[in-house]
Amino acid sequence: MTALLRYQAALLARSQRWLPPFILYAAFLGVGVQGGQPVLDSLGYAAAALLPVAAWLVRICVTGEPPAAGHCVAAAVGPGRAHLARLLVAWGASAALGAVATVVVTWISDPASSDHQTRVPPLQAAVAGLLAALACALLGTAVGALTTWPLLRSTGRAVPALLLAALLALVVSGSPAQAAVSGLVTGSRSGTVDFPLLPLAGAALLAAAATATACALTSRRSP
Amino acid sequence: MQRALRLDDVGRRYTIRGPWVLRGIDLTINAGELIRVEGTNGTGKSTLLRLLARTEAPTEGRVSGRPRTAYVPERFPSALPFTPVGYLTHLGTVHGLTRAAAARAADDWLTRFGAAPYARTPMTQLSKGSSQKVAVAQALLAEPELLVLDEAWTGLDTEARGELERAVAERTAAGGAVVFVDHDPSRLAGVPDATYRVHDGTLNRRTEQVTSPVGPYVVVEVQGPPDRRPPTAPHTRAEEPTPGTYRLTVPASHSDVLLRDLLTARPPWHVLSVIRADTPHIPHDQEDHR
Repeated sequence: MTALLRYQAALLARSQRWLPPFILYAAFLGVGVQGGQPVLDSLGYAAAALLPVAAWLVRICVTGEPPAAGHCVAAAVGPGRAHLARLLVAWGASAALGAVATVVVTWISDPASSDHQTRVPPLQAAVAGLLAALACALLGTAVGALTTWPLLRSTGRAVPALLLAALLALVVSGSPAQAAVSGLVTGSRSGTVDFPLLPLAGAALLAAAATATACALTSRRSP
Repeated sequence: MQRALRLDDVGRRYTIRGPWVLRGIDLTINAGELIRVEGTNGTGKSTLLRLLARTEAPTEGRVSGRPRTAYVPERFPSALPFTPVGYLTHLGTVHGLTRAAAARAADDWLTRFGAAPYARTPMTQLSKGSSQKVAVAQALLAEPELLVLDEAWTGLDTEARGELERAVAERTAAGGAVVFVDHDPSRLAGVPDATYRVHDGTLNRRTEQVTSPVGPYVVVEVQGPPDRRPPTAPHTRAEEPTPGTYRLTVPASHSDVLLRDLLTARPPWHVLSVIRADTPHIPHDQEDHR
């Protein structure tokens, strides 16, 4: 599995197809986050923006490998494991991006509540922001896994489905990502830090289910 | 028998109500077997090979056995962001080799297929034939127990085609199974243990035996102590013109395997001559002059 992950990671890193989502995310943050803003608000924004980026990265990892090359790997390790490696690498990339964003946002933001009256401990804020980012990365990975091959094959259907699902995952109440982000934003008003552990667990569960579904279908669908 | 692969009443279709691409397929592939699959375009040969490589699951029926498998696709993309050596090292480790062993095997196989000069050129700059060599090397470097070749010869140059035939002979001699599809009827002619024909979604074993395969051949003359038979490599015809001297006729693809057997036997055989021939039988009037 290590060799498989290293291969998929090299494929993603060297293809440079990761650049557009990374740049888009940087642009999101550049527009929405400014120095001196309340830290929890900014962290919530950074985590929410990560979700569509994570879904896009999954799409890049799955469609980036030419099908014939995918068959060579699938013959060696089985199609399910080959697909699992793609999804894990995509999730790893978005989690790393989220971690970097969390550090930067915590660094430049004002460690205070929304009205700048109550002090918010920056380290605790960073941990809460990181957990929210991980939850959003997990849910984004689930969205990406369910809106690309082997579930949806035509680009014309897959891309709108991905965008719609990402949007819904952010706004529908009861979604772990929505819960994690609104937890940060609500906490910002009173200046209290809540660790979004429950949303993280929910997102992990959904991501695991989506991954299992996608990997199980790889050998059933045509390439 | 973990290494044998078995298909029991296997069927495959791509959509729930779509047409059956293959149906009622029963096939067993044992270790060391060389199997040829024939059929006109679009009959499901590639689907069958993907079922054998287990990259696709059957819609009905059962596939059992899990040999270590390598697969060469019909068309290999050059749109990979690696150099041949880099890609092959990755694939070698995916097949279970260590990084050092994978890098060594990558160099060896690229050299064998005459691809060493561009071993470190980005794959996006390679020609179709050159990237096909990378595809073939990818499958051979881990010495798989089952090698599945989907028109792997297409696009290769003459030397590389011969090398791939020799590599297939080596693989089967080492106990690996090989299944291949190729448009050229003379490809490894006379050597396969079985030939199957895909027709109308079913698989039929071809019974008419191709008795005298068309050349080229290699005739090896060896000497050994009297009353000792030379190793009977598959597809080798042995004659004994004078006592203790044997004349072995072997398909050109299997000559290296035979020579290796002869020279590594204990005690080794003495090789008198190795001659390439286009027909298996040497006319009698010439025999005396040799």
